[in-house]
Amino acid sequence: MIIEAHDLRKTFVARRGRGRTEEVEAVRGIDLSVGEGEIFACLGPNGAGKTTTVRMLATFTVPTSGTARVAGFDVVKEAAKVREKIGYVGQAGGIDDNAPGRASLVMAARIAGLSRAQALARADELMAAFSLAEIADRPVKTLSGGQKRRFSLAIGLVNRPPLVFLDEPTTGLDPQNRANLWDEIRALRDQGTSVLLTTHYLDEADALCDRLVIVDHGRIVAEGTAAELKKEVAGDVVTLRLDDLAAARALLDAEPYIKETQEEGGSLRAYLDDGEHNLPALLRALEAGGLAIRSIALDRATLDDVFLKHTGRSLRDAA
Amino acid sequence: MFRHTMLFLGHELGTLRRNPAWPILGIMQPVLYLLLFAPLLTSITPNGTLEEALVVFTPAALMMIALFGSMFAGFGMINETRNGVLERLAVSQAWRPAIILGRVAKDMIMLVLQSLVILGVAALMGLRIGLPAIGLMLLLMAVTGLFAANLSYGLALAVRDENGMSQIVQFFLLPLMLLSGLMLPMSVAPDWMQTAARFNPLYHAVEAGRAMFAGDYSDTTIPIAFGLFLVLGVLTLTWSVRSLRKLAG
Repeated sequence: MIIEAHDLRKTFVARRGRGRTEEVEAVRGIDLSVGEGEIFACLGPNGAGKTTTVRMLATFTVPTSGTARVAGFDVVKEAAKVREKIGYVGQAGGIDDNAPGRASLVMAARIAGLSRAQALARADELMAAFSLAEIADRPVKTLSGGQKRRFSLAIGLVNRPPLVFLDEPTTGLDPQNRANLWDEIRALRDQGTSVLLTTHYLDEADALCDRLVIVDHGRIVAEGTAAELKKEVAGDVVTLRLDDLAAARALLDAEPYIKETQEEGGSLRAYLDDGEHNLPALLRALEAGGLAIRSIALDRATLDDVFLKHTGRSLRDAA
Repeated sequence: MFRHTMLFLGHELGTLRRNPAWPILGIMQPVLYLLLFAPLLTSITPNGTLEEALVVFTPAALMMIALFGSMFAGFGMINETRNGVLERLAVSQAWRPAIILGRVAKDMIMLVLQSLVILGVAALMGLRIGLPAIGLMLLLMAVTGLFAANLSYGLALAVRDENGMSQIVQFFLLPLMLLSGLMLPMSVAPDWMQTAARFNPLYHAVEAGRAMFAGDYSDTTIPIAFGLFLVLGVLTLTWSVRSLRKLAG
């Protein structure tokens, strides 16, 4: 296991003006284990405690309680050893706007202990890998969001870390750049690098990650592979809009093929397997009950349905 | 440790070399003071010559860049608390004090270079002082810069807000300047002001500079100024490194 965290907690003391303070429990007991060569995601809404968790694991923030070992070292007692083994790309990117990307890359390589010649060679290697060579000497503030993000990632990999933390790596990127970044993250895993990333995008956690945890209000509410988690809910979901939600819910709960129902934002979500075949039965049942349907949709269940099941609300509304 | 400080210094100097406009603009103010204010002082010097006025005013013009330049050094760091640079450096293998020290060393070098330009202008205007006085004055500028820049970085990391920081710096700058005898020697001030000035480190720096320029190397203000700024420099450095650690909450 490259990351093993046990009951991590972090309480911040926030100033509320005029000397008053308030304790904010950002993380309330998180257990994590990430295997070597895995892409592992923390999925959750903004403010769920994802960033604080990653910052504790990356030795930036000291946990209030709990323990964690990263790459075999304790994040508090052996922070210096941990720092040799990790790459960290924060949400803000962390690149010097006033320097060209090449200068920042070389600087980061030299801090990691490389000689000038080695650092130049390593910078060239990373710039080739991330197609940055052409823009290497332009001040970073003139680059696009996607280009900056690639530089951030390159800087995070400068010490060839066995583990990389990526905090919201694709937030704010356009679909093309997002897809490219996903490919780059997969390529990292293929070279044996472990990746822990945070995201609030369902499709990202679903498509990119080997395993994930769903985090809400500083706690883990579900853990597993995306397929396992979705299977827990059901294969398909029927979303219904009708006038009498309560009656429809009672009626559907009694149907044998319905695994579960959830009310969400004025609509009813009924979970079932093999939706294509069971949909006609569902329609007949509603009609027999005298309930008029205003709209109906059949979809594959997503991680949002997993989130809804565990928290009672949709991830799209939770932020 | 030393290697990391030099690395950060090199990186900062690189940035400075790419945008040299700001430090050049920074010396405009003291140069204008030299050109347009020093001549007014001829009326209070014993023989009424410009050279005498320059001996009195050049050290003050130099301290001006230490104040108005280095005290604002931290502004750039406020942005770095937001754009993630400090966050990244904090979890890198960098020796943390080097992050501050490298920047402070850059500010000290910049201050010494700016001082040389101002001394050059003063020399063109007729100031004649010996090499030891120049050397000592540059050293004094370096330790003043050590204090002012550390203080500025400490403030930046503690306040982390451009508006707040600019209010705080402005709040302290004017009384510090008026009570240092920067514009006119404190000897013309009433007693209570002279007493108050003794608590102003900048007053001692200006007095030490004037003693050096007058060739009076035995003046006690010289060791007092050096000692004071070295101690203050170490204290403010400790503070700013601590603030860096607190960034993570």
